[in-house]
Parts: sequence; C-alpha cells; structure tokens
Amino acid sequence: MFKYTVKRILQLIPVLLGVSIIVFLIMRVFSPDPAGVVLGQHATPDAMQAWRQENGLNDPIWLQYWNFLIDALRGDLGTSYYTHSPVTQEIASRFPATVELAICAIILASVFGVLLGVISSVKKNSLADHASMILALIGVSMPIFWSGMLMIILFSGTWHLLPSSGRIDPMLQPVGGTGLYLIDTLFSGDFEAFGNALQHLILPTVALSLYSMAIITRMTRSSMLETLDQDYIRTAEAKGLTRGRVVQHHALRNAMIPVTTVIGLQFGSLLGGAVLTETVFAWPGIGKYTVECILKSDFPVVQGVVLLIAVIFVLLNLVVDIIYAFLDPRIKYAKKEG
Amino acid sequence: MKKRRTSETAASTEILEKPESLWRSMWDSLKENRAAMISLFVIAALVLIAVTTAIFPKILPYDPYDQDLSQAKLWPSPAHICGTDQNGRDIFARILVGTQISLSVGLAAVTISLVIGVVLGAIAGYRGGKIDAVIMRFMDIMLSIPSILLAIAFMAALGKGIDKAVIAIGLVSIPEYARIVRSQILSVKENDYVQAARVIGDKDGRIIFRHILPNVTSSIVVRATLGISSAVLDTAALGFLGLGVQPPLAEWGDMLGRARGMILQFPYMLIFPGLAITITVLAFNLLGDGLRDALDPKSRKN
Amino acid sequence: MKRGSFMKKSKKLLALALATAMVGASMVGCGSSRAGSSTSGTTSGSQMADTITFAQGADPRGLDPAYVDDGESAKIMCNIYEGLLKYNKDSTEVEPCLAKSWDISDDGLTYTFHLQEGVKFQDGTDFNADAVKKSIDRQLEPNRSSDMPYASFVYGAEADNTGVKAVKVVDTNTVEIDLRSANTAFLKNMAMCMAAPIVSPTALEKNKGNLNEAPCGTGPYTFVSWNKGQSVVLKKNDNYWDKDNAAKTENIVFRFIAENAARVTALNNGEVDVIDGIDDTVVPTIQDAGNKIFNEDGMTINYMAYNTKSDTFKNAAARKAVNEAINVPELVKALYGDYASVANSVMPTFMAPYDTDIQQTQYDPEKAKTDLAAAGVTKIKMLTYTNPRPYNTKGGQQLAETIKGYLDKVGVDCEIDAYDWTTYKQKIETESYDVAFYGWTGDNGDPDNFMNLLADKTVSMNIARYDDFTYRALIQKGIATKDGADRDAVYKQCEQMVADQNVWLLISHSKNLCGYNSKVQGFYYHQTGITPFAGVTKTK
Repeated sequence: MFKYTVKRILQLIPVLLGVSIIVFLIMRVFSPDPAGVVLGQHATPDAMQAWRQENGLNDPIWLQYWNFLIDALRGDLGTSYYTHSPVTQEIASRFPATVELAICAIILASVFGVLLGVISSVKKNSLADHASMILALIGVSMPIFWSGMLMIILFSGTWHLLPSSGRIDPMLQPVGGTGLYLIDTLFSGDFEAFGNALQHLILPTVALSLYSMAIITRMTRSSMLETLDQDYIRTAEAKGLTRGRVVQHHALRNAMIPVTTVIGLQFGSLLGGAVLTETVFAWPGIGKYTVECILKSDFPVVQGVVLLIAVIFVLLNLVVDIIYAFLDPRIKYAKKEG
Repeated sequence: MKKRRTSETAASTEILEKPESLWRSMWDSLKENRAAMISLFVIAALVLIAVTTAIFPKILPYDPYDQDLSQAKLWPSPAHICGTDQNGRDIFARILVGTQISLSVGLAAVTISLVIGVVLGAIAGYRGGKIDAVIMRFMDIMLSIPSILLAIAFMAALGKGIDKAVIAIGLVSIPEYARIVRSQILSVKENDYVQAARVIGDKDGRIIFRHILPNVTSSIVVRATLGISSAVLDTAALGFLGLGVQPPLAEWGDMLGRARGMILQFPYMLIFPGLAITITVLAFNLLGDGLRDALDPKSRKN
Repeated sequence: MKRGSFMKKSKKLLALALATAMVGASMVGCGSSRAGSSTSGTTSGSQMADTITFAQGADPRGLDPAYVDDGESAKIMCNIYEGLLKYNKDSTEVEPCLAKSWDISDDGLTYTFHLQEGVKFQDGTDFNADAVKKSIDRQLEPNRSSDMPYASFVYGAEADNTGVKAVKVVDTNTVEIDLRSANTAFLKNMAMCMAAPIVSPTALEKNKGNLNEAPCGTGPYTFVSWNKGQSVVLKKNDNYWDKDNAAKTENIVFRFIAENAARVTALNNGEVDVIDGIDDTVVPTIQDAGNKIFNEDGMTINYMAYNTKSDTFKNAAARKAVNEAINVPELVKALYGDYASVANSVMPTFMAPYDTDIQQTQYDPEKAKTDLAAAGVTKIKMLTYTNPRPYNTKGGQQLAETIKGYLDKVGVDCEIDAYDWTTYKQKIETESYDVAFYGWTGDNGDPDNFMNLLADKTVSMNIARYDDFTYRALIQKGIATKDGADRDAVYKQCEQMVADQNVWLLISHSKNLCGYNSKVQGFYYHQTGITPFAGVTKTK
C-alpha cells in the first residue's frame, strides 16, 4: 500500500513536467504578445521591446522554460505581468473562494445525488424514478452558464431573494483565517456574516452542483440496480428481511463503491465547471481569474494556476484510487495502473 | 498447415460477422426504447433543419443575417416567435441556422478526437510496454488540465473561428477515447482468436483493424454519441465566453454571450438559444444512453 | 456490523472533504475578524449611512499611479491620492490642489509650484517639495522601469526631447520642474490620476518602490484592504488637510462585479449604492426599481479607421464613399440609445467648443452606391475587437456587424475578423486590413491628446496609418502654442482635415452612465472617468 502510494506520487513528476511544457508552449509560443496590453494605450514599439527584454520574452523558448522551472522548484512562480504581484499571492487570495464553492457543490451533489439515486432504484419504474431520471438528464444537458443566468433572472432579478454576485458583503468580510468564509465566520461566532456568506453561496453552489448531481444520481441508480440484482441480496430478501433493511444494510454499502469513485472524479470536473460558474456569478475564485489571465496573456499566472490545478487533480485521483482500494479489497495495487 | 490456415480465416470471418449481428440486435433493442427513439427523431429533425437551411436558405421566415435596426429588441410576437436581437435579426431564424454550426462542430470535433484517440489507444493497448507508458502518460497530462481551460487557451492562441473551435474541442477530448480503446483492447488482446491471428503471422495493423477494433466499436459508438453532446456544450461555452465563431455567424453560445448584459430586460434573448442547446444535448445524451443499454446485455435486462 | 462499517466509510469521505478544506486553510493561517468591524457604528445616531458601495466591472490593476493605466484603478486612486493640480468638477480646466499656485517661465520650459503647507500623507509623513521630487524622479529616465504605462506620456522621453528634464527642490514648499521642450499640456498632465499623483516617500521605501497593494497619498480617503476579485475598502482620512473638501462618509467600498446584469441586480436589490459600466438597455430596469441615472459626457471617441496604406482606401474618394453609406445617427441610437452622442468631431465638444461647426460626410446611400462603384470598392476586410471598451460599451464585434449591415445594402461585401483585445492589439500591427475599429479615452483633457493620434508613428495609436506632412506640422505647432485663440485655430484646422479626408468614420462619444440609489447625494463621475467620493453622502 505504502509502496503503491509512493509510486503514484512519483508518477506525478512526469505529469507535472508535461503539463508545464504544454502550458508553456500554448502560452509562450502561440498566444498573443502581452506587451501591448500591459503597457496600455500609450505603448510605443520601443517601450514594448524594452518590456519584453526585461521579462525575458526575447530569450529562446528553452531558456525561458529552464528559468521558469528553476524558479518554480524554488517556489517562485514569478509575478503577474499585469498587477506586479507574485503569482503565488494572486492565487492564494483567490483559491479559497474556489475551494469553498467546490466543496459546497460536491456535498450538495453527493447528498441529493445519492438520495435520488437510491429512491429511484428502490422504487424502480415508479413516478419518483422517472422524475429523478428526467431531472438527471436535464441536469447533464443544460449549459451551466445558461442555468446560472436563469437563476439570476428568477431569484435575484425578479424575486429579489438572493444576491447574484460576490461572496459576502465587503463590510462583513472576515479578515485572515482560512479564507473559507463559512468556516471563518462560524469560528469567530459572527453569525450575521455567516448568514450573509451562505446567501451568496446558494445560487453558485446549486448551479455548479447540477451537473455532478445528475451524474451521481445516475451512477447510484445503476449501481444499486446491479447490486439489488445480486444473489446475496435475493437471499437476504428470501430470508424475510424487509426491503428497507436489505437496502440499508446490504445493497447500499456495495453500491457505494463505484459511486465513491464518481464523486471523487466529479470533484475534479467541478474545478473545470467552476470556470463558467465563477464567470456568471462574479465569484472571485481562480477559475474566472484564469480565463481573464489567458485572455490577457498573463503567462506567469496561467502557468501557475494550471500547475496548481493539475497537482490537485492528480492528487485527488490518487486519493480516490486509495479509497477505492480500501472499499474493494479485490483490487490489487500491482495491477492498478494507467 | 494450409488447412489450419483456412480454418483460422474462417474463424476470423465469423468474428467479422459478429459486429454486424451486433448492430442488428442493437437496433432491435433500441427500437423498444421509447426515449431513445424520440431522441433519434429529434436528432433527425435537427439534421434536417441544418441541411435544409444550408441548401435552401430562402425557406427561413427571415434572413438570419439581415439587420434592421428599427426592428431591434422586439419581444416574441406572431411575427417573430422568438423575438429579435439587438441588431433586429430574427432570433428564431438564427436558432435554426445555428443547428448547422452546433451539429457540424459537434460531429467534426468528435471525429478528430475519435480518430486520434482510437489510434493512440489502440497502439498503446496493443503494443504495451514503453510505447503504452509514453502515450498514456501524455493522456494523463492532458486529462489533468480541465478541458475547458485547455480549450480556452487553445482558442486564445489560435483566434476565433469554427475551424479553430473544432480543433480545440476535438483535441481536448482525445484522452477519453484513447483510454476507452486501450482498456477494451487490453481485455480482448488475450482472446484466443487474436492470439491465433498473431501465431499465423498477421501484421499488427491488420490484427488491430480486423480483429480487435470491431470488438470495441460498441463502446466507442456510445462514447462518440455522448461526445457530440459534450462537444455541443463546449462550443456553446466557448461562444458564451466570446471565443467561438467569427461574426456575424449565428452560434447558440455566442447568442447567449451577447445577451448576457440584457438578461433582465430581454430574457427571451437568453431563453430560446439556451433551450436549443439543451434540447440538442438532451437528444444526444438520450440516444447515447439508449445505445449503451442496447449494447450492454446486462443493462438490457433492466 | 455492516452498517457500522458503512458509517465508517462515509466518515472517511467526510474526513477527505475536511482535509481538502484544511489545505486551503493552511495556506492562510488562522484567526479572523471582520473587515468593517473597526469602523462600524462610529456615526450611529446620525441620519447618514456610514458606508457607500460602488460596483465596477473589474479589479483595479493596481493602486500605484506609476504602474497602472486603467479606469478601474483611477476611480479608486483618485480618492486616495492627490496631484499638484486637480481638474475643475465640471470641466478639464485645472485648479490648485497640493500646489496652491504656480509660475511658468516665458519660454514655457520652467514650472515653479508653490506647495500647500502642513499637509501630511496618510501614514503621517510630511508632504513637501522632497516628496514631490521623489514621486516624479522614480518615473524619469533612468529610474523609470519598462512597465510604467504612463511615465513617458506624462514625463516624456530624452530620445524625443520631450517632457521633464529635472525636478529641483527650491525650498521645503517650492519645487521647480524643468522641461526639455515647451508643452502646453503639461499643467493638465499634472492633474491626471495616472503618473502625476504625489505618493508618500516613506511608503515607497517600505514597499520597494511599488505601492500597488499598499497605496498611501494625501487624499480624503485612506486605504484599508483589497480582497482580490472582490472589493477594496477605504475609510475616511481624519487628518485630511482641506477641511472644505473632506470626506463626508465614513467608508467607501469598491466592489468588483464583472457581469453587467449582475451589477444591475446588485443595485436594484440594495446590495450596492452606485454602479457604472452599464448600457442603455438596463436603464428602465434601474429606474423601475426607484434608482437614479447619472449620465454625463465622457472624454472618449469611438471610431472606425480606414487603413490609408491599403489598396482600397489609400484613395480618399473611396473612404468618403463608404462614409456616405453609413447612417451614423441611426447606428448610434440603435447601439447606444440616448447614452452616447453622435460624434461630429474627433474631440468631444466640451473639450473643444470651437468644433461645433465641423461637418462630417453626410449619409447618402444612393450617392454612396455610385461613388463606391466609381472608386471600385466591392470587398472590405474588417478587423475588430470583441470586448466592450470604455468608448464602446457594446464591443467592437457588434459595431462591426452593424456597419456590415449598412454596407451589405450598398453592395459591398464585408469580412469581419474579430479578436479578443490582447490578440487584437497585436493583429492591427501584423495583419492587413481595410478598416479597423478603435477608440480613445482622453487622458488629460488637452486637444493634443486626441489630435496627436493621427500624427503618431506608432501603428497601435494611429491605426489609420495616416501620414500627412501638413497635419504633422499643425500638431507640432499646437503643442508649443500657449492656450488661447491661436491654439484653438490650429486644432480646428486639424479637425477639418480629418473631416475632409475622411480618415476615420467618427461614430460616437460615450457618456459616463451610472445608476445610483436615490438616497445617495452628491455623486458625480468626472469627464476624465474618475469618481471622487469626498462630497458624496447617503441618507439612511
């Protein structure tokens, strides 16, 4: 087990190297030159040339990459072309927002997804089953930015129930702490701020979780159906156990194994979905910020963010695999690869 | 020796026939799936709309590109059933024409990822060893960057345009196909008939194409159908972010993106193109589900 | 037993979620308080609200006047910093600020500023001639770094023989600035929100010469915090020197909300008090919710430039023919409603009242058809940008499409290439085009700032690639001429040349359009695009 984990972590290295090379190529070789935008409406060719020289953009690409790599290994991801702030700082100030949103969304999606999935599998072909399956299908078919904007129209624009943008009223903003406002405000006992942060979270969380919720519902249902069809379940039922007990004690546990994997993988895809959700709800996370930086050719920031996301993604996959192995002892580590 | 060879050939012809019967049984069971048949009908209608509006643009109630500023931002009415946009163009006509872009980008992008993904996956799975490790590590690399970010970066680098959107969307989903094909191939590779073909000295390419690929078609077909729906969604997302097609082309996501600032005042500009996307994606998802059920004997029972 | 183990598994999942949360937590450390807690309640009992929130579309680029170039930064900075001079509330005329008076030598090369006494920076440092010198010196060659976007515009360059030669401290309260060549716009530059404001020398030293995240000036508001992507909080500067213009509201919060619709919703739901960056379509929504609209001229020009070096448009008759085909008043009305004015001159008329009798080419589609045929124009390649810009809230793509709509009707085929702004800036230098869309946001209110564009050798400023000897000579004469009738005549002549030669299709001057809560009093948006909040109040 330990050996397996170490091996997987070592495999991270080539993946991260590859990710950084790809991002480097896309950004530095093919993307538009940032000098004109960084220097604004008075940019002269001379000034742009001087700026490129100062930022090493005139160096051969391999040298640029080498310098980036050496700095990155020392924990220095460079400074943003646009704001002059260190990339690590730019990311750190936005990352908690994305983490908070993604965690809330995955919790919402898992709770409702599993619930709906179990109900529809137990009451197969009932009205409830059809309703949740249709809901799930619509959930995976709606563009996230469309459902998000519809929610803004209804809940903020028409009924004035919930705020449509931002994380919290700036005057209630917790200073310091984890950056996850729900936790910070709870720990400091500031319930007014907690309520305010919660209100801001509702719409983006729902919008972001719809897709994952749909996937988890479908996965739970099919996995449950498969499990309920197994001999030992039938035996249990034949022994006279009630349906509820069978589901609770026998089927659910086994059906959860593949569902766990899906939940883990969905957390990764939520990070992608966050790009669009954050844009629609003006959520100050790294997703929206990365898109802005890609469009402004802020190379150091894009490189840093994509590396960070790749690390998270790979680690999540590793954690999912380890959990999976725990849940299902049939898996042998040696054969699990690729 | 000779005899043995003929018998081997006979065996492989048998296998070649298998996919055909597979198609038939698939169709039979698909026919019983009401949702899948409805979705098939919807897709046929979408294709019909796309083809007709491309060949006979005159059939449309309005020219989707004809601007009339005096008719701008009109709410839906009998004259314009989905209203008009900020340039006074009929939204319904633009949505109809938009099927051309969504379907063609969806198909073309899936073709790109399918072809490259299948080839890479087949090589990796069949050859194994170092080649496998290199290819799959590369796929891991691509998978660990959220595909939407990768597509955005591609588009920002390549510039706007349908062709570029196709490439960007096609490239980012290669790993999914490669993974599916590889794992399927790993499971068929050790089958007797493949071993047999190898023993008699068939070339690798021939073995892959004649013996192995036909057996993994079903899962690829399912994946490709679902792939079209995600390609349609990705196209819309790029359009929404202002990175999709060149103006004045009518693309659903682009229409949504332009309506963004006006959703409170003119919600219909948002609702109709969004519905078009949802219906299209829903249809391909339903069909994909139907195909999976039809191809998977286990779930057919359910 | 089985149940127990399932519970155990789900606990593990929960632990995983928490562990992920802790990763985020460990990045920042612990212990939290509230951003607004230190100041809340200080004005309780009064009729006035203690916080006003302004929502804009994006974060400031930074808060150091030497390192930024964007309006989002300017709107915040103008509350924190002050320059030697400031603009009149209703025009771009300059008034005393940190300098109470000034003398200009007869040759126009030496400016002597007499400074206000007893002024302190927000960090307690004394404001004096030395502070002025340090503020400017860091932006002069060779101290200047390549990423100071406004340094060469405001302080010139040695190679061009323009701008500031030296800053001399005459005594504690007198500073002398020597120019390399006469520049009538220099006083106006000293009132700008970019590059010109005086920053605390102590703060500069403490922050390695860059105040982007630790701004410190002499202005009516003091910087409190900046949460990236969310908000900047300012609080009243209790030691502000100018009692007549001191802040009236305790806190000013700038919030960043990218989506126009979301910003409008936030205003209508009472989450914010003032918003900008909106267009005409949302005005009824804002008014229906009981909010008010602020709508004043902005200092911009939105135009389409003909590439005077292209085969199609090197011929002035071809440019004129296309101008005849486009109904600019209708286009402006359709795209921007009542919230932009049709441009009849390059400069907005509040800057140059003498421009009112300039006449642009009139819309005449029939004549356009014959003229286009005569000039042989059948196909045009258009280059445009996709993003909304201050001078064009609808974005260049929509504008290009609308113009294409007009040209379709006179039988000219247009191909539009639209790019994101960053790419666009590069494409106009590298790609061939017949027409391209652009605009300009005035910097200092001086006519040279606008008219010089067509004399500039840098393509990204002069995208028409207009290159006319007479025009250049006029511009050179204008910058050295003292303000007055002579100078006005020079720029009027420039305007006439632009109109006669149809180098640009002039489209519109934007208006600064804001929505604000009816409880807010005294809010205004200066023509230069800044929002001073010192005199603004809100009733509870």
